[in-house]
Amino acid sequence: MIVNRATSLRLVATSLLLLAAVDTVGAAEQYKAPRTSWGDPLIEGVYTNNTNVPFERPAKLGDKAFYTEQEYAARKNAPAVVETTTNPTDVHYQTADFDLDPEQNPMVRNPRTSILTQPANGRMPPLRADAQRRSDAARAAQQAHAFDSAQNRPLQERCLLWAHEGPPLRPVGYNTLVQLAQTRGYVVLMTEMIHDARVIPLAKSRPDFGGLKRWQGNSWGRWEGDTLVIETTGFSDQVTPRGSGVPMGPEGKVIEKITRTGPKSIRYEFTVSDPSLWDVPWGGEFPMELTDQPLFEYACHEGNYGLPNTLRGIRKEEQTSSRKPR
Amino acid sequence: MSQHINRLLPLLLLATVLALASVLASAHHSFSAEFDINKPIELRGKVIKVELINPHSWIHIEVTNKQGLKETWMVEGGSPNALFRHGITKNSIPLGAELVVIGYQARDGGNRAVGRTLKLANGQSLFFYPSPLPTGVQ
Repeated sequence: MIVNRATSLRLVATSLLLLAAVDTVGAAEQYKAPRTSWGDPLIEGVYTNNTNVPFERPAKLGDKAFYTEQEYAARKNAPAVVETTTNPTDVHYQTADFDLDPEQNPMVRNPRTSILTQPANGRMPPLRADAQRRSDAARAAQQAHAFDSAQNRPLQERCLLWAHEGPPLRPVGYNTLVQLAQTRGYVVLMTEMIHDARVIPLAKSRPDFGGLKRWQGNSWGRWEGDTLVIETTGFSDQVTPRGSGVPMGPEGKVIEKITRTGPKSIRYEFTVSDPSLWDVPWGGEFPMELTDQPLFEYACHEGNYGLPNTLRGIRKEEQTSSRKPR
Repeated sequence: MSQHINRLLPLLLLATVLALASVLASAHHSFSAEFDINKPIELRGKVIKVELINPHSWIHIEVTNKQGLKETWMVEGGSPNALFRHGITKNSIPLGAELVVIGYQARDGGNRAVGRTLKLANGQSLFFYPSPLPTGVQ
């Protein structure tokens, strides 16, 4: 079955109206979350965080954290030009062909001007000077050997990890579904793209994790009232926090908070700190809405023809250049 | 190696910056590293295989080249999950349907391309943009 464009637009419009009825900002205080059979606040379900709100606020908006209703109404269906729409001169398929632009699907109501809320200007704080020097050196080294082998390619391209999976979790341009599952003593957070399932033990203090270390750090959680607070530390040098180009130090920490704000909505908040990288912490929040859609398989590695194709192209160019291949 | 690295550095840097600076990443890898902007192509051929797989869809078409010989091309597109949510599967594209692809060829000169536009012979877009498949072509 093919859904025609008019039907798609009607579905989107209807969904937007439904979503607009739920204002997550400030609603959590009035909402009492239902409970699991063992008494924890119920947060499980499949959610979408589809949005065209940029992670960082456009500089011209300064400290303006929210759009007015009029501004929001004018903007909510606007394409997220900077982030997702491919330039006509790009060597890239058009995301809209595959229904992958955020505005092609129901977006979660969010009148914020940025996902980032801390610092107040909604923009990433600068790296410390020494961290910036390490970052510059790391990037230069990476770029000099970027195509030497599959192991030199980005984790995302190798189908190992997408940056939006976090922690902290961030909205992504497409395949935006996130599933939360609860058992007595555990919460699992799974993203559709790239099917990473983060198993988060609930405890009163940090468990020892049996010596196992995840690349993205080890997460554990606790309930503070109706809010699930997740603390993650112990990040490996395989991953680098957003925009840094260098891994977290031993004091690097991510705090996430998940609060049910309504019958179909949760609020996700995050704070990132690392005194070896930034002088101040940074963080933000975004709403997510329950969806009746299931997570679909995202078997990335099995169909990743792009990686060998890229390396094949580079090796071919080496053969036809005057330079000796690596 | 350093010759093409020098050429690719600006693109790689851009791709890296975009990947790091943008919350809404648009693709899972750098298409400019896989396909050559200096090799624009237009292909017209019959669909012989459809792979709606992640991280990217691939549609295989049989093309008759200028010498009158048949050759097979693979055309890369986007993640299919959103298509699935609208009920579109690999069976929605009939084998034998004629497809017109405007895009760029692979850097190694092989019979692979990225499809900037994917249209049926009647001019309508294959999937969603700017218009869906016509009624009956399912």
